[in-house]
Amino acid sequence: MTRIALVLLAVLLMVPVSLKGADRKIQAVATIPDLADMARNIAGDLIDVTSLATGVEDIHAVPMKPSFAVLLNRADVVILMGLEIEHAFLPALLEAARNPKILRDAPGYIDCSVYVTPLDVPTRLDRALGDQHPVGNPHINLDPVRGKDMARALADGLTRNYPEYEATFKKNLDTYLTTLDAAIARWEQEAKPLHGIKLVSYHPDMLYFAERFGMEAVGTIEIRAGVDPTPGHIAELQERMRREKVGLVVRELHYPAGLAETIAQSTGATLVELPAMVGGVPEAKDYLSFIDYNLRTVLKAVQKGT
Amino acid sequence: MRDIKPSLAAANKTFPSQFNPAIGFIIDTVGSYRDHERGNFEFRSGEMGLSANIDPFTRGYAIINGTPEGLEVEEAAIVTTALPYSLTVKGGRFFADFGRLSKFHDHDLPFVNRPVVLDRFMQGESQGDGIEVSYLAPTQQYLTLTAGMYNKIGAENERVDNLVPRDFSQFTYLWRAATFLNLTDNNSIDLGASYAYTPKVKIDQGGNRHLAGVDLTFRYTPLSQASYRGLSWGTEFLYNHENRPSDGFPEEGTESEEPLHFKPRDAFGMYSYIEARLSRRFYPGFLFDYAQGIDRAKGTTAYSPYLTIWASEFQRLRLQYTRLEEPGNRENQFFLQWTVALGSHVHGFRDR
Repeated sequence: MTRIALVLLAVLLMVPVSLKGADRKIQAVATIPDLADMARNIAGDLIDVTSLATGVEDIHAVPMKPSFAVLLNRADVVILMGLEIEHAFLPALLEAARNPKILRDAPGYIDCSVYVTPLDVPTRLDRALGDQHPVGNPHINLDPVRGKDMARALADGLTRNYPEYEATFKKNLDTYLTTLDAAIARWEQEAKPLHGIKLVSYHPDMLYFAERFGMEAVGTIEIRAGVDPTPGHIAELQERMRREKVGLVVRELHYPAGLAETIAQSTGATLVELPAMVGGVPEAKDYLSFIDYNLRTVLKAVQKGT
Repeated sequence: MRDIKPSLAAANKTFPSQFNPAIGFIIDTVGSYRDHERGNFEFRSGEMGLSANIDPFTRGYAIINGTPEGLEVEEAAIVTTALPYSLTVKGGRFFADFGRLSKFHDHDLPFVNRPVVLDRFMQGESQGDGIEVSYLAPTQQYLTLTAGMYNKIGAENERVDNLVPRDFSQFTYLWRAATFLNLTDNNSIDLGASYAYTPKVKIDQGGNRHLAGVDLTFRYTPLSQASYRGLSWGTEFLYNHENRPSDGFPEEGTESEEPLHFKPRDAFGMYSYIEARLSRRFYPGFLFDYAQGIDRAKGTTAYSPYLTIWASEFQRLRLQYTRLEEPGNRENQFFLQWTVALGSHVHGFRDR
């Protein structure tokens, strides 16, 4: 009886190993839906990818669910945006997942920010300046040109882990980048009415979007990144918006509605509400439609305001 | 300058300091007023945390705590990071994997004071010197199984001497199973069951001890508003069973003339709290405590409404009123707690 039990135990322990055959898809976990979409475009049928965030969350407050540890435990690769944007949930989940293949800087840890030159790198780290983004503003997914850099990093990360599929990843990446280039050219043309328009956002995450489409992000409703505003800050912001003729208030959908509406009304600016990730609204079902939705929504708001 | 690559910024660090551990420091202070003890400013702790990877196979961390009683290494542990079969081994001094809030440092608790049942049955945090093995089961359902062996469990457990060698029957052994139920995207339950067994409590002249617990935490966290809305309900039930001398232990420094007669004693205790997130800053809550004495003495009950105010992620104020009712004492207590965190901060899985 003991011998039978030992044999059964040995077979059970071998089962996870025997499933990792050549026909098994790459098991990937992406932190946000934008990266999951890119991974599907680059790896096609070779990959099964799940996103931890659904797209409606504040990426700084994605809940740390133990069920995510199970997904990460079985993952061959983890795909993250990087620049410490996932610091509130990913490091602890990687520890709980007990998967050495995807620990930080292991081969299966695919950081999609490695080719991006970030904006707003602090020259000084000090909590008096709020919950700073310590290596630069990490909200790079809102800029489709930096989105191309993310896709390249993703493809290179997959190739590093699966060199036998390099040709497939390269072919699919080239196709994806060609589609993105065509969309970028069209967006830049459509975005001409946005040039010079000033905006205020709830959190400093519109910087890359603004830079790409010729707008100017002049301030935030948060007094500092991650710190809710005080009445004094709101008054100063409203005064600055009137003085500098700021035309737009952007409320990212995971922040409270009331304050952004009040600030827009009191300053004569137009309120526009945007998702910060793919999946944040039903129309933003993939990366291209996400950027498209954001641009069209901002254009409509600017046209409404003029 | 705005476009400095992160790699260039990293090169600015001096070479000797590049492998320094992450260092954080927490200051926890409380102003209190109790009917009988009157007022006091309590410096509760100045706690330094250090953590770093040691090599490709392990990481280490330490918590060094300064309190009015002195300086103590509260935790110093080595944890494996690369074992197969989803195993983790932890060794050194650490909080044993019993229950939920027993593993929280005082300043991390959702309220000012540790629940009575944990102070009484666990005697503080579940600190133990020993070794623990944890396994993440290969199932779709999240399930972790833990087994541990320690000199004793309980930071203030003075019934067992940490420094004295002992037989295998005098160690404390622990088993725990924990799972997670994702009811919907916004609602979840963490559930756990723990059991600690000491075959012979040496200082208690051979009486054995069983401590069992069930913990449940319900969370409502709306995904699109997680920073601004939410609800947590946490409950733990603990049951203590041990052999105690029917006439009590002899006074310290003396010996009983007659052999001690041990009788089984059961004690039960629990706490339950509910806390709402009304905004990014304001978290009102209510804690209910009940615990019997270890010798089956009459129970202590406490009711504590509280309000936590997060000025920022690193600074917290808490106001709490406690109505304490225990045999021979009924008391109103008022607390104002101020807690800050300096330096490195980590969002820990254990403390979520």
